[in-house]
Amino acid sequence: MTALAVRGLTHAYGGVPVLRAVDLSVSPGEVVAVVGPSGAGKTTLFRCLTQLVRADAGTLELFGTDLQQAQGKSLRLARRDLGLVFQSYNLVRRLTAMQNVLVGRLADVPAWRVLLRRFPAADEALAAACLDQVGLLPYAHTRADRLSGGQQQRVAIARVLASRARVVLADEPVASLDPASAASVLTALRSLATDHGKAVVCSLHQVDLVAGFADRVVGLRDGRVVLDVPVSQFDPAAASALYARAG
Amino acid sequence: MQARPGTGLAPAPVRPARPLPQRVLRWLLAAVAVAGFIGCLRLADVDPVELAEGLPTMAGWIGQAFPPSTEGLSTLLVRAAETVAIAVVGTAFAVVLALPLCVLAARTTTPSGWVRLPVRLFLNGLRGVDAFVFALLFVAAVGLGPFAGVLGIALHTWGSMGKLFSESIEALPGGPLEAAELTGASRLKTSSYTLLPDVLPSISSIGLYLLEFNIRASTVLGVVGAGGIGQELKNSVDLLAFPRLATILIVILVMVTAVDQLSARLRKALA
Ligand SMILES: Nc1ncnc2c1ncn2[C@@H]1O[C@H](COP(=O)(O)OP(=O)(O)OP(=O)(O)O)[C@@H](O)[C@H]1O
Ligand SMILES: [Mg+2]
Repeated sequence: MTALAVRGLTHAYGGVPVLRAVDLSVSPGEVVAVVGPSGAGKTTLFRCLTQLVRADAGTLELFGTDLQQAQGKSLRLARRDLGLVFQSYNLVRRLTAMQNVLVGRLADVPAWRVLLRRFPAADEALAAACLDQVGLLPYAHTRADRLSGGQQQRVAIARVLASRARVVLADEPVASLDPASAASVLTALRSLATDHGKAVVCSLHQVDLVAGFADRVVGLRDGRVVLDVPVSQFDPAAASALYARAG
Repeated sequence: MQARPGTGLAPAPVRPARPLPQRVLRWLLAAVAVAGFIGCLRLADVDPVELAEGLPTMAGWIGQAFPPSTEGLSTLLVRAAETVAIAVVGTAFAVVLALPLCVLAARTTTPSGWVRLPVRLFLNGLRGVDAFVFALLFVAAVGLGPFAGVLGIALHTWGSMGKLFSESIEALPGGPLEAAELTGASRLKTSSYTLLPDVLPSISSIGLYLLEFNIRASTVLGVVGAGGIGQELKNSVDLLAFPRLATILIVILVMVTAVDQLSARLRKALA
C-alpha cells in the first residue's frame, strides 16, 4: 500500500513552470530522498504536497484521499496525516521545547485548553515521549530560542511525531546544520520510518548523506523527475550527472 | 590599479555626474518646497512683531506666578489622579476593543481581504479623530465629567492600537503558524498558540507607550469639560490666577515625568 501517491503534479509560478508532471510515491516505513540542484523545485514540491500552495494540475493521494480536491474542513482532516519539517525549523521562539512539541496535538485539544496552554496529561506524556525519542527530554523546559540549530530541528521532528502524522516530509532539514547535528537529525528521521512505520520524504542538498539514510532516491531537475532508483543504484556517476550544468 | 592611500583597496569608483534634466528637476522641486513653506507661514499668521510685543506681558505673568500657590493643593492632586485614571481606564478599554480587531486587520491572520479592508478603514477613521474631539462630542452626549474623557481616549486609542497591534502581528515570521496549520487544527487554535507568545512583548510595549501618550493627552481634556486637571488649568487661565497656574503646571510636569520614567523602565524590562 502506498502512503502518498503523486501523479502528474504540475505547477507554475507566474507562468514559469516549476514542476512538470512529477510522479512520486512512498510507502509506510520507507525513506525517499529527493535530491537535485538549487531551483529544481524541491521546496515547491513540498509546498504543493502539503497544500500550502495549490498545484495547477495532477493528483495527490494521501492514503487514498485526493488532497487536491479537499477543501476547508476535509482538507484540515486530511492534513492531520501530513507532517512537514522545515529547513528553518519554524518553532515558536518564546515557547519551550515541550510547548512546541505540543503544537502537534492542537487538532485534538479543545480551544479553551489551547488558549490557557493547559494540555491534558495524556498529551503532555506523549509530547515528553516524543522529545525523548529525539534525545531532547532534558531540554523539555528550555525555550526554543535558547536551543542550538540541531536541537531546534529535532524539536521540530518531535512536533511531527506528536501529531501522529503517518507521512513525514522534510525540506532540507539539515541544510543549516554542522555535520554532527545533521547526523543526529537524519538518524531521528530514519527512525521515524524504521521504528514507527512512517513514510518519509526528505530533500537533501548533500548527496553524500543519502547512502545509509534513504531507501530510494528521486532526482529532480528543472521540475522533472529524472531519476527514481533504489539507493544502491545511486552512485557518484548518477549524482554528478544530476548536478551537471545543462548545455 | 592604484590602491587608495592607506587602505590597500582599489580606488572607489567616481560617482557619475547626474544628467542635466535631473538637476533642473531637483532645483524646481526645491523652489516649490520653499514657496509652499512661505505660503504656510502666511496662512499661520506668523508675526514676529506680535510675539515681541507680547513677550513683556508674558514675562510679567511669570513674575506674578511666583511663589506658586499651595492653596487647594489637595484638590489639584485629586484632579491629577483623575487624569491618570481617565488615561488608564480609556487605554484598558482600548486594549479590549483592539485585540479582536487587530487579528482581523493583520494580513497573516485575517479570514479574508474583504474583512481586512473595512476593519482597517474603521481603525484609521478612529485614529484620525483626536481624543479631544471625541471627548467634546461625548460631553454633549453623556454630560460633563471624566467618563466623557474615558470614552474619548478609548475610541481614539482603539484606532491607533488596532493598527499598531496588527502591524506587529504581520512582522512575525509566518513559519510557526504554517507548521501548526499542517496539524489540521482550527485557525483560532493555531494562531493563538503560535503567534501570541511571540507578539506579546511587542503589544505590551505598544500598550504602555499609548498609556504614556494618553496621560499627556488627558491633561487637556478638562478644557472641554471632560474631567481631570485640565478643568483647573482652564479655570486658572480664565481668572488669570498665575500662582495657581504655576502649581498646576508643576503638578502636570511631575506626573508626566514620573509616568514616562516608569513606563520606559517597564518597556525595557519587556524587551
Ligand atoms: N513564491 C514563488 N514565486 C515565484 N517563483 C518562485 C516562488 N518560489 C519558488 N519560485 C521559483 O521556482 C523555482 C523552484 O524553486 P524551489 O524553491 O522549489 O527550488 P528548490 O529546489 O527548493 O531550490 P533550493 O535547493 O535552492 O532550495 C525557482 O526558479 C524559484 O525562483
Ligand atoms: Mg528549497
